[in-house]
Amino acid sequence: MAPVTFSNVSKTYPDGTRALVGFELDIADGELVVFVGPSGCGKTTALRMVAGLEEVTDGEIRIGDRVVNDLAPQDRDVAMVFQNYALYPHMSVFDNIAFPLRCQRVPKREIRERVQQAAALLGLEEQLGRRPRHLSGGQRQRVAMGRAIVRQPQVFLMDEPLSNLDAKLRVQMRSEITRLQEELGVTTIFVTHDQVEAMTMGDRIAVLRRGVLQQHGPPELLYDEPANLFVAEFIGSPAMNLFRGRLENDGSGLACAIGEQRVPLPEHTLARRLGLAAYADRELAVGIRPEHLLDARSSDPALPRLRGDVKFDEALPPERLVYATVEAPPVVTEDVLELAQDVDAAAVERLEELAQERFVLACARFDITASPPPRGPFEFAVAVDRLHFFDLETGAAIR
Amino acid sequence: MHRYTWRTLIRELALFALAALWWIPLYFLVTIALKPDLEALASPLSFPSQIELGNFGTAWTEGSLGRALANSVILTVGTVVLLVALGSLCAYTIARRAGAMSTTLYLLFVIGIILPFQLGLVPTYAALRELGLVGTYLGLILFYTGVWMPFSVFLYTGFARALPRDYEEAARVDGASQLRIFWRVVFPLLRPVTGTVAIFTGLIIWNDFFLALIFLSGTDNTPLPVAVYSFVAEFASRWNLVFAAVIVALLPALCFFVVAQRQLIRGFTGGIKT
Repeated sequence: MAPVTFSNVSKTYPDGTRALVGFELDIADGELVVFVGPSGCGKTTALRMVAGLEEVTDGEIRIGDRVVNDLAPQDRDVAMVFQNYALYPHMSVFDNIAFPLRCQRVPKREIRERVQQAAALLGLEEQLGRRPRHLSGGQRQRVAMGRAIVRQPQVFLMDEPLSNLDAKLRVQMRSEITRLQEELGVTTIFVTHDQVEAMTMGDRIAVLRRGVLQQHGPPELLYDEPANLFVAEFIGSPAMNLFRGRLENDGSGLACAIGEQRVPLPEHTLARRLGLAAYADRELAVGIRPEHLLDARSSDPALPRLRGDVKFDEALPPERLVYATVEAPPVVTEDVLELAQDVDAAAVERLEELAQERFVLACARFDITASPPPRGPFEFAVAVDRLHFFDLETGAAIR
Repeated sequence: MHRYTWRTLIRELALFALAALWWIPLYFLVTIALKPDLEALASPLSFPSQIELGNFGTAWTEGSLGRALANSVILTVGTVVLLVALGSLCAYTIARRAGAMSTTLYLLFVIGIILPFQLGLVPTYAALRELGLVGTYLGLILFYTGVWMPFSVFLYTGFARALPRDYEEAARVDGASQLRIFWRVVFPLLRPVTGTVAIFTGLIIWNDFFLALIFLSGTDNTPLPVAVYSFVAEFASRWNLVFAAVIVALLPALCFFVVAQRQLIRGFTGGIKT
């Protein structure tokens, strides 16, 4: 068990592609840090650099107090779980788990004991004689974990290990991995594409985009205080609602104009976000999490209102997701388009269509016990203290 | 709806009849091999009036087929082992190393498949004679290995290129040396194509007459095809014995092919089962 340190680490491929740029991160001993981001953001590259499967172009990676840049993978004392598990198909489960120990020339008796221990920990005792192709997805995943833990390495590296499992199994394995990691106390870097996995598993999350670390911190911090538009849009499901707004001073104080509607910003909100003062009479991006768009029928009447046109809702007990169009220009910056592109090309088209029509399809999260809102015009209450503001040019959060 | 119609039946019968044509030589081979001496000469095309299984025993002892069979096994197994061991290692290197060197090497092997080996036969024979290898197992095994190595490398390279790198990377992280990665992880994954290389080249070498005649005739190391040929010259008037000898020579290869044909097809067409 050892801390892992990235000091100004960069990776440039021979064709000039920059996969990682000036990556700085300290991972404490025993911590589980999740690297998350859209496809091609550099998260897997960073992981593979720790494993020694990719060379470091610049900077320094340390495991414990050793600089490992030039060490071969076998000399780094790390274990890795691959996305497709990479179980050796011609070997039994026992031989798969025993393989790293045989490489270390551990005595046969000790190998048997340690494999049995790992198998017991993972509930694989009955499967030891079987070949990987005769196992279910979850069992294969456990074998891959077994192969990693049997070595008692200093660091676990996990490259999207849950992405091939079905939804239910994924939830189960998520908690199993967290439990195992806590039990073993091994420093772990977990790469995922799925922000729900990141939120639920990580002691800390590092969000990457185009090889650049955007923000790192505990899941709640990233959710409540995103450093920029990209993190705001990436973390949270459903994603944060983003409107292109304008800060206006109407004499009685600052208000945020969203389309034709105005959301007054109370003094205490402005006091918490001193940077907003500089944006008076300027355009900015306004973000509202779905749970901060409230049902006006049952909310504090003092909260500002935002009118929308309810199009449909999804009952997802214990909550109901209500989708409504709000007449206001959406935020169509590079960050937002990149994230839409990561979903699929059609999502980009939809976003661009809405932008042309100057509508935002906003999502509100209601309690399932409340009566569903009628289709058509509807008023939402805005938890104005929980609004987020971002600079449209840089995407940085305004604080 | 009846999907099996009269037309289907007629078409099937026609195809069966066509396929039966291939059985005609085999029929004569077996029937003549089972006839007594006189009947084989007098009415070679008729069905045997009496089954003479003793022909096989006579052919076996008089033609020294036991020794020839052992020679065939040594030559075939020796060559196939070299083709598999060297071909897989070479192909793995070519498949995994990007760059002009490996591309050039691969192209050279492909050219080796296209060029007829007969072009180099005389100088190679001279070289082997200088080395004292003509008439020995080793000489012919080396020659066969040289002739069939391009084919082996070609098949292995195609398969190795399609092999996911994850297995090797997992083994590297698990602490395996490069050699261990190859022999314990990669080589077993190449099993389908190893089967193809072994069966395909094995059958060709087993049945080879020409090279064995050139390099081994006049020695005790001659394999089955050459031994059968010598037998024909010696027993030209006893076709029943000649045909019995041919069957003895054919049987091992036939059995091997029947057992291994699935492996052969998988190596040409499929990948690995994970």
